[in-house]
Amino acid sequence: MLNPMSKKKQLLNFSFSRLNQRRLASFYQNRRGYWSTWIFFTLFFCSLPAEFIANDRPLLIQYKNQLYYPVIFTYSETTFGGDFETEAEYRDPFVRELIEENGWIIWPPIPYHYDTVNYNLKQPAPSPPDGDNILGTDDQARDVAARLLYGYRISLLFGVLLTVCSTIVGMTAGAIQGYFGGWIDLLFQRFIEVWQGLPTLYLLIILASIVEPNFWWLLGLLLLFRWMDLVGVVRAEFLRARNFDFVKAARALGQSDAKIMWRHVLPNAMVSALTFMPFILTGSVGVLTSLDFLGFGLPPGSPSLGELLKQGKNNLQAPWLGFSAFFTLAIMLSLLVFMGEAVRDAFDSRKNFASSEDNA
Amino acid sequence: MSLLEIDNLGVRFYMEESKIDAVHNASLRIEEGQTVALVGESGSGKSVTALSILQLLPYPRASHPHGSILFDGQELLGVHKDQLRALRGGRISMVFQEPMTSLNPLHSIEKQINETLILHRGLDKNKARSRTIELLKKVGLPDVEKRLDAWPHQLSGGQRQRVMIAMALANEPDLLIADEPTTALDVTVQAQILKLLKDLQKQLGMSILLITHDLGIVRHIADRVYVMKDGHIVEHNVTHTLFSAPQHSYTKLLINSEPHGDPPVIDEQTHVVIETHDLKVHFPILRGLLRRTVGHVKAVDGISLQVRAGQTLGVVGESGSGKSTLGQALLRLIPSSGSIQFGGRDIQGLKEKDVRPLRRQLQIVFQDPFSSLSPRMSAFQIIEEGLLVHGIGATHTERRQHVADSLREVGLDASSMDRFPHEFSGGQRQRIAIARAMILEPRFVVLDEPTSALDKTVQAQIIELLLSLQRKHKLAYLFISHDLKVVRAMASEVIVMKEGLVVESGPTEQLFDDPQKDYTRALLAAALEGKALEWEE
Repeated sequence: MLNPMSKKKQLLNFSFSRLNQRRLASFYQNRRGYWSTWIFFTLFFCSLPAEFIANDRPLLIQYKNQLYYPVIFTYSETTFGGDFETEAEYRDPFVRELIEENGWIIWPPIPYHYDTVNYNLKQPAPSPPDGDNILGTDDQARDVAARLLYGYRISLLFGVLLTVCSTIVGMTAGAIQGYFGGWIDLLFQRFIEVWQGLPTLYLLIILASIVEPNFWWLLGLLLLFRWMDLVGVVRAEFLRARNFDFVKAARALGQSDAKIMWRHVLPNAMVSALTFMPFILTGSVGVLTSLDFLGFGLPPGSPSLGELLKQGKNNLQAPWLGFSAFFTLAIMLSLLVFMGEAVRDAFDSRKNFASSEDNA
Repeated sequence: MSLLEIDNLGVRFYMEESKIDAVHNASLRIEEGQTVALVGESGSGKSVTALSILQLLPYPRASHPHGSILFDGQELLGVHKDQLRALRGGRISMVFQEPMTSLNPLHSIEKQINETLILHRGLDKNKARSRTIELLKKVGLPDVEKRLDAWPHQLSGGQRQRVMIAMALANEPDLLIADEPTTALDVTVQAQILKLLKDLQKQLGMSILLITHDLGIVRHIADRVYVMKDGHIVEHNVTHTLFSAPQHSYTKLLINSEPHGDPPVIDEQTHVVIETHDLKVHFPILRGLLRRTVGHVKAVDGISLQVRAGQTLGVVGESGSGKSTLGQALLRLIPSSGSIQFGGRDIQGLKEKDVRPLRRQLQIVFQDPFSSLSPRMSAFQIIEEGLLVHGIGATHTERRQHVADSLREVGLDASSMDRFPHEFSGGQRQRIAIARAMILEPRFVVLDEPTSALDKTVQAQIIELLLSLQRKHKLAYLFISHDLKVVRAMASEVIVMKEGLVVESGPTEQLFDDPQKDYTRALLAAALEGKALEWEE
């Protein structure tokens, strides 16, 4: 089986599982990408239960031999022998004393929620890092570390959601264009060109004056303008694959177009789509951050990296604001890019199969 | 002393954990001015042996555990790469199989040939140019002066191969290694290129190592033949002796594996399964800003034919003659005009939705079993697909039973149905492709070069299989091929196509014995005797 022609054929029609093994091995060999992936996912999964890490409600209270879970349930102050029917203010020294007389409190590592205002600052906000606020506070006396954690989570969740949605929309559009070709392709392509020409930022500003943008509004609006990334690649893959013999054979069997696209062509386009995804994710995170920075993003008060950057810009005398946001963003985006590069190289068949070295 | 002496050569490849010995103890000798043919089927190690001479293998994944290669008394294995580079394209040249990809599409013909002249001979531009013209004339390229600035895509396959040969000859090599130089070409062109190589060898007195899978073509050109199988050279001899008295059983098999079979007898009584009248497939040529149609490529230009149950109509033609387009148009896989009568009704005007139920009776088998099976589906999934589409077999177990039966029918082990295409050999894959078509119990099957991508010995088996299936199920075949020997074994009637038109048609025997048109005669001469005949356009 080893004359070069047949070898080439073997490789082109690869063993799927073996090919995947090879890709995994190649991904693993890219140490930078491999570790980036680990670090990124560790950080991501750590940020998911942010309520248990940074919160102004205790994790656990024992009061009069009974256990309370303030992070999950809401208890009124009267539960702990206070005066008000409203929710207990656990940070209030009075409430704290009430509880500690008859039990104990376990606080999360960072005892601030992203919107907790710290009224006990020793100097006016923004205050520099100290034992209490490890990264200092912002200009509204809120803990920077807590805001970073929540901001990181919301950025990534937004990015991932936007990536997934735009990938689905983009792949569907690309698939239809590539598979059917002809007039559908031509019209769709022109439409995309026009659509891409729309000034996204102005539209967002105008739309922001009509509705108050929240997480889902922003997601929808950005999705309108960011689904085009994948169309080109997927369209090209479908254009190529629709003339493959096995696709023709499926048509000759009488298989419907939708099934052919799903079963026979899509798997071929998946590689290029997967390769693109980390980069789309990077772009999505960047877009949200920049909108927040400009003030057209998430509603005021939401934890966000862009908003923290803006505070850093407005308070140059408080460098911990700018630095915290900058390093968080820089590290997160670098990890994503390294990860994307590793994925791209792992899927690159030429790199994987190239004869190592022809000494010519 | 011989020009090239390969002694006891071994080639080993390292793949991840395993190692594969591609060539074992190969010894080969080429005298000055001799043509030596190295013949073997795919995977026999013939190309690897040839590539080792210039050490063009992917080192260090490949290695030579033992052996020596002496060229003009000089050991080539392990020689410094500067010396090798001087030999490559200098005293030893190579011509590759695929003329489409071995020329750089971004350089003009002149530039590609000049490059090697300037590199190896240090000629200046003007001298290189005149030498290039001389070379191109020598290889018989028409209108050389006009074509110097041509790009590779403006030349036909045969012309490109001529340019490749001119490049290889540029530095008057002592040894020309031709790796399947004619495999990608049409039969008539193939004969011309072989004749050219023979003539050039006489003129220039060089040696040729011709590597091919086709024992037939070396008969007229080689002085000595080496037969290779599974990495071993099983037999070698002077050409004449080898053909008249082959010793090894494999050589005998190769010589006797010329396709043969009993095509169905013409029977005017059986009913017509499919019939077309004036079938046309025109592809518009679009130009300019508004994409106006300025003309048409007439891929199929008014063809009428009919195929009866249990009969085979052979369609013969060179590449670009429109024969595959005809087959696909008949099955309505590409749009066409003109009537297509199937089962008593005209299916031309039907909507795709209405054609779909008929697809069960209209099937196709493609040429390349590597590309016609989806690499991501198991054999069972591939064959099952048609059952699902047409709602045959209610349960999974029932469908598995169906698939097992059809695998057995095409001569495969039913227990292998959960394997993926890459785990099968080329011939087995083609059997899977046939099973995929046959499981639907079709009435009409288009066979689009089903044997062309296969080795000779496998070809014969597939032909036998197709014939037996036809007899058993009274199938009507449209058999498309450029290989006249295969057509003779399969078809009861033949049409010869050229540029979308029928050149000649008739019963197979009659057409082969007494061709009426020059084109048919040239085709037959090239295919059956390896001779290059001229024909009038």
